[in-house]
Amino acid sequence: MSRSPGETIMEPKLVYKGAEAEIYLEEWFGKPAIRKQRIPKAYRIPELDDAIRRMRTSHEANMMHEVRKLGVPVPTIQHIDPESSTIIMEYVNGPTLKEELYRIPMHAKRERCSSLGVILGRMHEGGIVHGDMTISNVLSEQGKLFMIDFGLGNFSKEAEDKGVDLLLLNRAMKSTHYAFHTVVFNAFMKGYTSVVGQKQGKKMLHKMHEIEQRGRYFERA
Amino acid sequence: MQFTIVLYCLGIESTAHTFGVSVVTDRGEILSDVRDVYTSAPGTGIHPREAAEHHSEVAAHLVSQALSQAKIRASKLAGVAVALGPGLGPCLRVGATVARALSSYLQIPLIPVNHAIGHIEIGTLTAGATDPLIVLVSGGHTAIAAFSGGHWRIFGETEDITLGNLYDMFAREINLPSPAGPEIEKLTQKSTEFIPLPYVVKGNDVSYSGLLTASLAMLRSGKRLEDVCYSMQEVSCSMLAEAVERSLAYTGKKEVLLTGGVAANKALQSKLREVSRLHDAAFYVVEGRYSGDNGAQIAWTGMLAFRAGVVTTIDQARVRPKWRLEDVEIPWRNDHGT
Repeated sequence: MSRSPGETIMEPKLVYKGAEAEIYLEEWFGKPAIRKQRIPKAYRIPELDDAIRRMRTSHEANMMHEVRKLGVPVPTIQHIDPESSTIIMEYVNGPTLKEELYRIPMHAKRERCSSLGVILGRMHEGGIVHGDMTISNVLSEQGKLFMIDFGLGNFSKEAEDKGVDLLLLNRAMKSTHYAFHTVVFNAFMKGYTSVVGQKQGKKMLHKMHEIEQRGRYFERA
Repeated sequence: MQFTIVLYCLGIESTAHTFGVSVVTDRGEILSDVRDVYTSAPGTGIHPREAAEHHSEVAAHLVSQALSQAKIRASKLAGVAVALGPGLGPCLRVGATVARALSSYLQIPLIPVNHAIGHIEIGTLTAGATDPLIVLVSGGHTAIAAFSGGHWRIFGETEDITLGNLYDMFAREINLPSPAGPEIEKLTQKSTEFIPLPYVVKGNDVSYSGLLTASLAMLRSGKRLEDVCYSMQEVSCSMLAEAVERSLAYTGKKEVLLTGGVAANKALQSKLREVSRLHDAAFYVVEGRYSGDNGAQIAWTGMLAFRAGVVTTIDQARVRPKWRLEDVEIPWRNDHGT
């Protein structure tokens, strides 16, 4: 986004409020940027709360850096300030994958989900799990996907952790895109399997069902 | 002409250190609630066989006391409920034996009850919640659950030891008597310094074993007991509060119910009250005298189960030391409360 001389600087605008953080759209050195700010929690004493928010801010930035090395597109980090538990990152100008899936044709739905499969496959092969893997945590800028929200991300090669990523994603697809859930999840698995291999893909599907059987990650009423 | 028929159910609790007997009515009145608690020497935990011996000694007396306080004859009972698990095998077997004998002698139905479901039901009864997110904290459980599709579903839980374990195992090392929660909470009042300790939340789950090790290490390194207790309580309760917040945001429930033995902890209560406020949910705590293990939680859950047709036979009524609460079918609830 370019700005003509004399135009006023953009006021920070709250675009999303989660349980842990607030997301603002604002200007950073003349360009629109996203500020993710972890908010203080009154149920924790300040010494503890500050330390946790500092630690998680660094952790999230670190995870974003690590997945980028594996070929996973994430918004570019522009500034990190653990003291104010703030990350400023590139503004991805596009909807979440969840929103986009509603309005694009079937072949495009399949294509997007297959790309997401490739991306998550790369992460898992590289030993990183997302921890909160839903289609609300994927942004699409003209078809190019970006993964966001690595607050619960971690280094893990455990089948259990990867299985939870798949299950949460499957659930998210099922609950919001019921009519074509099977199509998009199969497309996702095709992309995923193309990276991790047939054998591992099957194993992970099996793991996902096993975790699902425990009945823990049920859908919201 | 109208007849009012009142059903009476006797419940027996013997999953761990408490042997409890209670009589309730189908209207939710608790007519009697008597118990006797096995206590181990400071610095030691429950010895399952000794606890079972204790239970055998007090059982007969407590059953007749529960009936006489309720002012009803045994022949009036509609059923006898017993906690078949989860818990310590030798302890469970005492309660199960007594219940089987009563059922056989009185020719009344035997009702199997899961102890954890008992904590949930006595909590909703005494606090008045209808469709809450459950925070169950006791020696045996640290779990966040919500009702869906005929079962209580576990949303988050401890990956290793429970909150009650954390306090009891810490107390055992420093020769405090157990259950140690109240003692530890008293000590926190005299703290002057917060000591950083490991804070481990993984999604909706918590992990307390590292916190226990670190707390004991701090103590050995010369930190004041009061400060270690305060910091351990602060960290452990904040961890659970965060896991509850995540579950609350996800499920969108409008009620939170704190139940189980550790529910009496004031620090935990105030943190969960704040979390509930942040998410516009009403906050409930189980009535104080029913937070610890008791017969009423079994009698009342037994009554609900009995009315929904849940009964068992004497040869089927085996104890289930590892019975998980999400495995229990709950025909007396639907997805929007009872």
